[in-house]
Amino acid sequence: MGAAAVMAPALPGSAAAPFRLGLTPVFLDNDALVIERLRRALVGALEMPVELEQRRTYKEVTEMLLEGALDAAWLCGYPYLQHEDELSVVAVPLWNGKPLYQSYLIVGKSDDARDLSDLRGDIHAFSDPDSNSGFLVTASDLAEMGLRPDEFFGRTIFTYGHRNVVRAVAAGLVRSGSVDGYVWEALARMEPMLTNRTRVIRRSEWLGFPPVCAHRDRIADPEVRKFSRAVLDFDRTSDGRAALNLLQLDGMTPAYPSLYDGIRRRMRIYAALR
Amino acid sequence: MGWWRNFSLSLRVSLMVAMLMIAVAVIASQLVLSALDRQQVARIRELARLHVEALSVALGPFVLRKDVWEVYDTLERAAGASEGRRTVFSAVADRNGRVLAATDPRRAPVDSPISRLANGAQLPGKLQVGNREHNVKLLAPLVYQGRKVGQILTELDISDLVSERREARRLLLLGNAIATGFLVFLGYLATRRMLTPVSRLVSRMRETEGAPRPIPRDEVPEGDGEMARLVNTYNEMVRAIASKADTERRLAERERFVSLGRLSSSLAHEINNPLGGLLNATDTIRKYADRPDVVRQSADLISRGLRHLRDVAKATLDTNRYERTDTPLSPEDFEDLKLLIGPETRLNGQRLTWAVEMDRQAQPALPAAPVRQIVLNLLLNATAAAGKEGRVGLWVATGPKSLVIEVSDSGPGLSDSARVRLLESGPVPSNGGVGLRLVRELVTGLHGAITTERRQGMTVIRITLPVAARDAAAGESGEC
Repeated sequence: MGAAAVMAPALPGSAAAPFRLGLTPVFLDNDALVIERLRRALVGALEMPVELEQRRTYKEVTEMLLEGALDAAWLCGYPYLQHEDELSVVAVPLWNGKPLYQSYLIVGKSDDARDLSDLRGDIHAFSDPDSNSGFLVTASDLAEMGLRPDEFFGRTIFTYGHRNVVRAVAAGLVRSGSVDGYVWEALARMEPMLTNRTRVIRRSEWLGFPPVCAHRDRIADPEVRKFSRAVLDFDRTSDGRAALNLLQLDGMTPAYPSLYDGIRRRMRIYAALR
Repeated sequence: MGWWRNFSLSLRVSLMVAMLMIAVAVIASQLVLSALDRQQVARIRELARLHVEALSVALGPFVLRKDVWEVYDTLERAAGASEGRRTVFSAVADRNGRVLAATDPRRAPVDSPISRLANGAQLPGKLQVGNREHNVKLLAPLVYQGRKVGQILTELDISDLVSERREARRLLLLGNAIATGFLVFLGYLATRRMLTPVSRLVSRMRETEGAPRPIPRDEVPEGDGEMARLVNTYNEMVRAIASKADTERRLAERERFVSLGRLSSSLAHEINNPLGGLLNATDTIRKYADRPDVVRQSADLISRGLRHLRDVAKATLDTNRYERTDTPLSPEDFEDLKLLIGPETRLNGQRLTWAVEMDRQAQPALPAAPVRQIVLNLLLNATAAAGKEGRVGLWVATGPKSLVIEVSDSGPGLSDSARVRLLESGPVPSNGGVGLRLVRELVTGLHGAITTERRQGMTVIRITLPVAARDAAAGESGEC
């Protein structure tokens, strides 16, 4: 799953440094077409070279953003809130018209588990320790029961990709998994053979969709402001719409203050146990 | 194996050459197949070794960290990417033998002992592959950075290699069968050709029926090989047989004169005795020429004497006229013989018993000349054997299908050499004449049979001459 750099061809006569956007495979696993469409939409909007930087974990991408190695990054609500004082939300994707999504708890198609409590002692797959839907939701649910994941489950693994969680559950490598509901639904349309081998036994409340963030110190930079306008206008450009269609999203919207309160609440529950 | 001996030599040799070629082809095929097997096993071992080594390199760090997902992901991608989906199943265990991940996690759940699946697994370097196996199971240590960090269990689909081997085996056997069949055919033709002189020799010998004929010079194989020498030897042998037969024929010819010669003294008596009476009669006629009754009586006497002399001369001439083979046998022939042998028996003071029961209306269709020669020779032999004052007998009877002739004498019985001459076809013993052998050859020529026995102090030689067979033979020859 290693890192991949997607280089934009240098524009003729332009010596400007490229705009660097961080992505994680947590979102959609190495989809070259999605990345290319996204890059093309941004190049057209920003009129400058764009580099899309992929890293294996949220942690790596978040650190690159904090260190200034990236101009912006598509993160998750959980790492954003972990560094809320340093990061600022540039835009939030709209899924089914809302900037909200859910976390799914999934098991194998023929598994008779009905709820989280039925999964005690078995193997569970998380996507990333810094993922809200792929870790925090289930961890905080267990924290409410007074248990840490490694106490409740027999063994936990991290697959560093929501699609990988679905694969692990579908193959029977693990009994259950915590997965991004948006990714599961998107996969159900693109790869029904995969999701058909799994079953959702629990859906979380609606939570703030993974945001596109930039460093607070750079939020007023012209490139970042231009980038912000570009992504918010994705639904109004053909390249942007093409990228959104591939991502099965409706558009981008600015964040409102209470959007991530649900995640914030879960962070508190989980932190209390730790 | 009796049926085998019934085949001709050329067929047997050809078949043996064919069988030897087939045996050589089978052995050669076996050698090639075993070499092919060895080569393929080595290939599969190499494949297995490379597979395990590649997995070890890819999985080493993940196994060391016990990263279940990465091990699974690597195994799955390796299985999906392997040539022709060769990997059927793979499982990786940690150093304690606990499964970390498998391509089919339901078959090998995480943390289950890998030993549960290792039944029948082999080491890649010592892999053995059966002819009917489609999968091979390998269990190998997973070595990373020079130390064992876990185990790899993998099942490889080798059905393509097995079917390739089966196909190669099939093609090889088919090719060998065709090549062998072709060579066998060529070998058969060559052997047949080489043995043609033998076959020709055999057919020559078979078709001759007692009178072998030499093989023409243009049919004698060229050169000085065994076959040429064999045919030349055969031709020399045929010439020797012909020469011997010619000699025997001349001897038999002479025998006819010999038998008459043996009768000459008694025939001389037979002629001489009436001559005295005849001369007396002529004297009487001269002396009593004026007495018609005496002249008539003497003339009658002369007439009887001359008729007797005419009969003797006729019988002698008939016996000597061997060419009269087409004249059928009649009771008169036996009368002639009686006339010929009578003086001999009287000379020896022997008692001659003569019984010829031939129905004049139903005379057997037999040639007179050979039968006369047979009976004359046997009677001469009997008079010689019976000795002075002995008894000699002839009994002739006609049956529905045969003529039976019995010649008996009161002699001491047939000597061994006489028995050989009369009853066997071997070489004629040096002592004694060829009269009895002539009897045997004449009887054989008439398809007859000879038996001997002692009956009431008499030696009886019984000749049975089939009449029907003679007719059939005449019919057959008539068709030619």
